[in-house]
Amino acid sequence: MSPPDPDGPAPDDIVGRLKSPRPSDQASGPGDTRTSDVSQDNFHNSDSKGDLKALGRDSAQLHDKHPAEKVALSPHAPLSGRDAAIAERKVAALFGVAVLGVIGFLVTFFAVEQEFGVPGNVYFTPLLGVFMAMALGGIGSGTVLWAKLLMVDEESVQERHPFGSKPEERAATAQALKQGIADSGLPRRKLLRNSLLLGAGSLALLPLPFVGFLGKFQHKERILATTAWREGARLIRQNGTPVKLGDLLIGGVESVYPDVEGGTFTADSPALLIRMRPDELELEGQKQQWAYQGHVVYSSICTHLGCPVKLYETQTHNLLCPCHQSVFDASHGAKVIFGPAARPLPQLPIFVDDEGYFIAGGDFEEPVGPSYWERG
Amino acid sequence: MSASSRTGRRTSRLSGYAVVLIALSVLGTLYTAVAGPSSAQEKPGTDQSMKVQEGRDLYLSGCSTCHGLDLSGGAGGPSLIGVGASSVIFQVESGRMPLAAGVQQAARKDARYTLEQIDALATYIQSNGGGPTLPPGDLTDGDLQLGGALFRTNCASCHNFAGSGGALTYGKYAPELAPASARVIYAAMQTGPESMPRYGDNQLTAEEKRSITRYVRYISEAEDVGGASLGRYGPLTEGLVAWIVGIVGLVGLTLWIGART
Repeated sequence: MSPPDPDGPAPDDIVGRLKSPRPSDQASGPGDTRTSDVSQDNFHNSDSKGDLKALGRDSAQLHDKHPAEKVALSPHAPLSGRDAAIAERKVAALFGVAVLGVIGFLVTFFAVEQEFGVPGNVYFTPLLGVFMAMALGGIGSGTVLWAKLLMVDEESVQERHPFGSKPEERAATAQALKQGIADSGLPRRKLLRNSLLLGAGSLALLPLPFVGFLGKFQHKERILATTAWREGARLIRQNGTPVKLGDLLIGGVESVYPDVEGGTFTADSPALLIRMRPDELELEGQKQQWAYQGHVVYSSICTHLGCPVKLYETQTHNLLCPCHQSVFDASHGAKVIFGPAARPLPQLPIFVDDEGYFIAGGDFEEPVGPSYWERG
Repeated sequence: MSASSRTGRRTSRLSGYAVVLIALSVLGTLYTAVAGPSSAQEKPGTDQSMKVQEGRDLYLSGCSTCHGLDLSGGAGGPSLIGVGASSVIFQVESGRMPLAAGVQQAARKDARYTLEQIDALATYIQSNGGGPTLPPGDLTDGDLQLGGALFRTNCASCHNFAGSGGALTYGKYAPELAPASARVIYAAMQTGPESMPRYGDNQLTAEEKRSITRYVRYISEAEDVGGASLGRYGPLTEGLVAWIVGIVGLVGLTLWIGART
């Protein structure tokens, strides 16, 4: 809708505008589908009821002739004359508020002394907020007021025309296709036709390698399956100090990392060292050898979606993942006893070196963390 | 003339009392200052044994039903031999003991005993089998920054980064830390009550525990600079409020604008 006339359009003007024929009616040529849409018989400009009365026609009669459209003017006609002038000034004032807000914002931002970390003017941030609210709110409320007071308020229903092309256009297209095929000589030249079918048909075999034969391109470095833990690497805390046998009391836990270059920063290596009474720890088979006098180390990366599992309850030996409530039993090889995790937390083999410090017996035997494509 | 002389007489009489009073208090202070230490040095034995006796009386009347007459445990209560004074301070000062009947986890309540009674109880328990005790002095004089780093490494996984606590398995929970006193916080690290791990001095030194205690007290008393803390649970509650209050507000505003058109 174009911006309103300052004096406001008279009701007659609206009717005239609504009735005015689209210029495209006659101007659209063949092939210009965009404008030919408009020229379809079942697409029309609309008339309001008041409009119909003005034309002296019966509304039902017109409805039959123009089934696709209805337009109603709402009872709120745009303001006109003096009222419109006042409304325009109100809108302009709101836009002016927006300008003041922008100016105030910029002045505050550049003129007020403010340093990060230094206590400064307590009104700095609130002022920025107030000015920004003035700027955005002025534009917004001005626009709303403009639309409500000065624009034509109308509701129109415009029905779709049939999607299909006209029968004669379809016939013409079919004729052109037939002519093209005949011109290409395909119906006559059997060799050409058959070789084309063969060539195009053989394309179907192209995706064959993607169906189960990409194995040889699988990456071999097993980067997702290994961590920074090495045989003989000491278990260190986040601050770099090594953990000694006896540092932990029974019922103690410690987040441990491998004592290798950048070991406390590798995302897949964090583990949890837990000490419980040796008779409480029931591990299966070889994993018994991986624990040391009631000390056991599990990867602290959840096998469900990789959250840090460090919520250890000393009485139940439950290890809880805070993200999706998977619960692992630390006294039974971190087997899953609740929640969405599918596998136990991998256990790290640990031993104690000559000086009494904990060392890793190697990397985790299985990949840590959530499942991935080639994990199997 | 006569009035002023009467006033003067009264003043001199009052100042006489004042001089005596000041002299007496100075003498008293001096006596305490000089004689105090020596009398305190010879006291502990009797004081300690009186405390043990008082603690024993409190124990027998309030705790022995569950923990046994000889501290060896019994009907529902664990043995208290070797748990140390810190356990008593944690459990009794935070109101968890005496226990309300039949609960999954002891809840924080108003303390049933006074601080003197708790000290007496702690002395009595400590005299039977020893165990961890609180170090003397201010427990919150550690390094705030170090405390923060250690808190995030060791404590935040259960107690939340702002000490708001959180859920554990099967109805248990890590409690909010703000209501805990410095003594209770320190004792909790030493003793590892209920689900909580224990942190011995080889793992977290006394200095490191003081730092953590200072940090927890600091964040518990810290102002919420952003306005409402929303429970200090972080993005979860903040996002919830943004969606419920913000989006519902916007929808309401939109409906209002639409209705007025």
